[in-house]
Amino acid sequence: MNRRDFLRYAVVGAAALTLDGCMKRASVQPPTHHSHRTTSYSLNISEALVEMVDGTAVYMWLYEDPMKGPSFPGPVINANEGDRIILSITNTLDEDHSFSVPGVVESGNIAPGEKKVLTFTVPATGTYLYFDSLNAPVNRILGLHGAMVVLPHDTGNNPYTNPASAVRELFNDLGHAEHFPGEPWIAERTRIWLFTSVDPKFNQMAMEGKLINPEELVNSYLPRYFTINGQSGAFAAHDHNNVPSGRIGQPHLIRLLNADVDFHSPHIHGNHVYVTAINAQTRDNAQFVDTFTLAPMDRVDWLLPFMRPPDIPGDPNMPLRELVKNELSKVLGDVPQSPLTYPMHGHDELSQTAAGGNYPQGLVTTWEITGDLDGVDFPSVH
Amino acid sequence: MSIRTISRRQISEEEKPVFHKHVCPPKHSGPPPDPVAPTVTIARNLMVTINLPLPDGGAVPMWIIEDPDDQVGGQVFPSKMIRVVEGDVVHVRTGVKTNTHTIHWHGIEPTPMNDGVGKHSFEVSGNFTYQWLAGQSGTYFYHCHKNTTLHFEMGLYGLLIIDPPRGEGYVAGFNPPSHVIPYDVEALWVVDEIDSRWHRELASTHDAFMQKCDPNDPSAPGPFTQNGFLNDFRPDIFLITGVPRLDDDTPIMDPAVAVYAKVGQTILLRILHSGYTVQRYTIGIDAEAIAFDGRPFGVPPFGKYSKPFAISAGTPFTLTVARRIELIIRPKRPGVFPAQVEFLHDITGRRLAMARTVINVS
Ligand SMILES: [Cu+2]
Repeated sequence: MNRRDFLRYAVVGAAALTLDGCMKRASVQPPTHHSHRTTSYSLNISEALVEMVDGTAVYMWLYEDPMKGPSFPGPVINANEGDRIILSITNTLDEDHSFSVPGVVESGNIAPGEKKVLTFTVPATGTYLYFDSLNAPVNRILGLHGAMVVLPHDTGNNPYTNPASAVRELFNDLGHAEHFPGEPWIAERTRIWLFTSVDPKFNQMAMEGKLINPEELVNSYLPRYFTINGQSGAFAAHDHNNVPSGRIGQPHLIRLLNADVDFHSPHIHGNHVYVTAINAQTRDNAQFVDTFTLAPMDRVDWLLPFMRPPDIPGDPNMPLRELVKNELSKVLGDVPQSPLTYPMHGHDELSQTAAGGNYPQGLVTTWEITGDLDGVDFPSVH
Repeated sequence: MSIRTISRRQISEEEKPVFHKHVCPPKHSGPPPDPVAPTVTIARNLMVTINLPLPDGGAVPMWIIEDPDDQVGGQVFPSKMIRVVEGDVVHVRTGVKTNTHTIHWHGIEPTPMNDGVGKHSFEVSGNFTYQWLAGQSGTYFYHCHKNTTLHFEMGLYGLLIIDPPRGEGYVAGFNPPSHVIPYDVEALWVVDEIDSRWHRELASTHDAFMQKCDPNDPSAPGPFTQNGFLNDFRPDIFLITGVPRLDDDTPIMDPAVAVYAKVGQTILLRILHSGYTVQRYTIGIDAEAIAFDGRPFGVPPFGKYSKPFAISAGTPFTLTVARRIELIIRPKRPGVFPAQVEFLHDITGRRLAMARTVINVS
């Protein structure tokens, strides 16, 4: 917890809500209590120029934590099921905007200069997208969106309050069943991967105050940048806030959200993942996949088991630091091959581009295995 | 008030090598770093250009991964299938004849140097032998992972099937206690689309629209290409397993695609989405889905959180890029059952085209 976060908790008391613009979610959780709490918070609807991966500055509309300044995407809302949130939203822009989590809260139009106070109950555990629902999908794709993460009051080793039996069994098995040696899941081992794209011609129209017809946007949208948590390419792949990192047997939960108008087909290397929830509904049929579909607005939870990659030949009982010691001692292109790193990327490969090329400077990130099941880290090489 | 700027973050000295490697991976060749004696050795070369004939009498250039040991069927599109048995230790001698390439074994999970992703290891220049274990039977594929947006579209991919230890004719699936399902007829639908503009204009530019990079300043915006069109995919050719369709209405009857079976037989249909659109499938006969992505539903231990599910005749299902599904079909009566794939635009959802074929049960 950094100093500013600490101060914020001090101000609001045992807050059950954090808004975290610098994406240091998960490591910052407020104290939890059984009694439902009420927390107040503020957001501004504002604007900024956001530098894309190739240095191009693009005008965007953004939700802003007034204490931290604008962020792309908006700050992560961390909340606990059943709590009450009082959210003050001020529209600093020149046209109507809104704040919406379908089925949970809907602000209606917020006029320029207007401040609206929304009170709502935090919904069931899961991953939610908040966004501006006006002129859909225009305001959302111009930057007005963010993630809301809802955990149980007592999270323990399962992120869901009443999961489907398959998901309950999966989380119970992690660190306990013979096929999942290691540790159970813990809340700190969570990452958010929020996908979207940018077609700057529409951002330019917004900057010039022109009205954007939603049908025109959908029909002529040509995404030029693809982002995960607001970053692309090497920037997204080497930001520890995006990168699940741990030893074999330290499973991570990944919350994927698609704010885009485009379908995405994210693919992960090194391990298959369990699809534990779709749109905050846990799955009775938790399939084990290497690629999955996110339609626009979809939220999908993946449990990345951090298994020993299953297709490394040799003695399965020998630690990897011995079995693949030559690989782990190599330095290729001035980068050590230890730890073991794998990509996650959009397999709709258009999403791997920036400015129509520059592969792979699009929707891509990394995960890394830093050590063996017995708690010994792989050797570091310099 | 002037508009505030959210800057790209500054990268540190220590980050420069990984940022540089992200777009300019090193080249490497040789044996696998930690070799294990193989049970199967396969050869593949990248790459060969072939012309794929089109129904209108024209042709479109494709890049394929060839099997240099097969003088008859080694140069085909999709690239020649690899088929091994669960438990095999596989070595693939990979020869790169032009520029640099890699091979990624999609769904297979070996070490990074055997995973074929340049920025996590290297690009192959010359020869490299990839090594992996065929750990779990199922439907996979392999493809080049360099400038993938282009190289995958150009055809540098093929199916990869791992059979269970009992061999062809059996597939892993929920069926206690053996958890293998016997089948009589196997069908392979590899469903792709082609933007012929990419194939015409970029056929000799492996590195099309790739960024130059400076190891001393690897995140500098200067060397970015500004005029690429690899974000703009406008398919005009639609294929199932390398067979281009004629139009929306005419079913593909080529036996590489159309399925021929008898009442009482079991059909295993493996589908790979190898295009870039959203593909919606409708099959006119009841089917049961038994696996995604080489992981059989309901088979313990890793499949015990899932179970097979029914797809009734005429019920559409959607796949996006790189997903695989395995379907079991047990025809109960004779007939010609239609099957179709609709290719949907990934943003507008509009139908761009349709490919039809049949399941012919006698
Ligand atoms: Cu290639």
